Amino acid sequence: MSPASSRTPFATFRDQYAELMRSAFLVDLQYRASIAIWLIWGVTEPIISLGIWWSIAAGGAVDGYTREGFARYFFGVALVNQATLSWDAWNIDRWIREGEMNHRLTRPIAPIHEAIADNVAYKTPTATIILTMWIIASLFWPAVRIPFEPGRWSLAIIAIVLAAAIRFLNGYATGLLAFWTTRATALVELQFGLSLFLSGRIAPLSLLPPRVAHVAEYLWFPYVLSFPVEILTGAVTTSEQYLRGFAGQAIWLAIWLALYLVVWTRGRRHYGAVGG
Amino acid sequence: MKRFTRAMIVLRAFWQLNWLEELQYRGNFVASLLGTIFWLVMAMLTVALYFRHTPQLGGWGYWDVVVLLGIFNALAGVVETVLRPGIGHLPTDVRSGALDLVLVRPVDAQFYVSFRRLDVWRLADVVLGLAVSGYAFVQTGRAISAWELIAFAVTFAVAIAVVYAIWVTLMSFAFWFVAVENMAALFDAVFEAARYPVSAYPGALRFLFVYLIPIAWTTTIPASALTGRLNPALATWAAAVGIAALGASRLLWRVALKRYTSAGG
Repeated sequence: MSPASSRTPFATFRDQYAELMRSAFLVDLQYRASIAIWLIWGVTEPIISLGIWWSIAAGGAVDGYTREGFARYFFGVALVNQATLSWDAWNIDRWIREGEMNHRLTRPIAPIHEAIADNVAYKTPTATIILTMWIIASLFWPAVRIPFEPGRWSLAIIAIVLAAAIRFLNGYATGLLAFWTTRATALVELQFGLSLFLSGRIAPLSLLPPRVAHVAEYLWFPYVLSFPVEILTGAVTTSEQYLRGFAGQAIWLAIWLALYLVVWTRGRRHYGAVGG
Repeated sequence: MKRFTRAMIVLRAFWQLNWLEELQYRGNFVASLLGTIFWLVMAMLTVALYFRHTPQLGGWGYWDVVVLLGIFNALAGVVETVLRPGIGHLPTDVRSGALDLVLVRPVDAQFYVSFRRLDVWRLADVVLGLAVSGYAFVQTGRAISAWELIAFAVTFAVAIAVVYAIWVTLMSFAFWFVAVENMAALFDAVFEAARYPVSAYPGALRFLFVYLIPIAWTTTIPASALTGRLNPALATWAAAVGIAALGASRLLWRVALKRYTSAGG
């Protein structure tokens, strides 16, 4: 083994990450039964929405969405939602309330990296499970088949990764407000409630009242769910739509990253002052 | 009868203590009330969105569905007030062995575990839910007969019994799967489906909600009583389902409890 001084910072960082991911994955493996329940919990909302829209579309297409169109859309929602879920605010809240933040602050690596490793270790296998279910379902149920277009699928993967990053930073930065208030998780819930409509969780954005859909365009909500889903279902077609979508993702990623950095730097100082 | 009286005395003492404890956290009341109002508004907007694209959901009009939504909120309030803080804590007790302290007490264990805590502030959800139902009922422009009101009271009680039985069933699984700590999430997931009349779902899901996970009996039936969709036969069936669900869950509880060997056993 080479002495620590000769290692590049990057190599150290990479090894730390690998270790964080490994331990997160092993913890998840221990809780696989609980994870199965969270998976069921995650897919019921899109299934219920699909059930209702399926009945509504009995008499014909609803603003361009046929029954099959709804089926594909909500399978996409189930997948993208699983890949972009954000629960970190609740962890941060607990860490700060119960003092578990203290030992995390003494580590040579910021707590956000532990959270990122957690997220990757959890979402990669669980999203793969949902994808597998989708593939199996499409064998028996033609309605949920989507055409094989490698180019589109690759762009969808990029959009999903960006969406996961935005939603993660959004949840994490909001959660860090726990440095100042005990109700930071309520703010996350508020955003979660609004995302029912603005992210397209309950219906495709084109079915919302036009004014609401218009407001959504100026926020990050559509970029964390609706945009990747609509790439998958084929609703995004023109290069202008792609450009707008990816540009929106890039802008909101930058904004939430900046907000995270501000809240983290100030919050840590504030926390030290209180606990010191 | 003597056992019953004693149980009631115990219950009163517990809830009184709880009440005094909760009075210290009045800020929580405001927060929980605001939260409930927010989610109620979101739920009503969701229904409004559906009704932008359809004149009816499974044969129910907008205000009919809102009547149901209020009942859903009231039942969710019962869950948050009594069930989640009480029997919802069972898996933790089984894992840690704290159930020992329950079993040695001279009261029925299921009774004690189920009703030991009362998160009084969440009773506001019940009141708010019933108020929404009442308002929506007025909007439907119907008149209510005495028989319908009685039918509503009975079927609402049945709904509480069914929800309670589902909780007892799910939580009893903790005796087999000690490591599973989020069994309550399974209830939350499935109960979401009770937001809408069961007739609004496609056949396969409807079958699931009526026969396999009987949530159809929790909101659809009491709301049917208020919207003139309930006939005496269905009401009788509902009562039978409620009693059967309670009986089955009691049986399961007994079988499950036999497996308990305390922590490390």
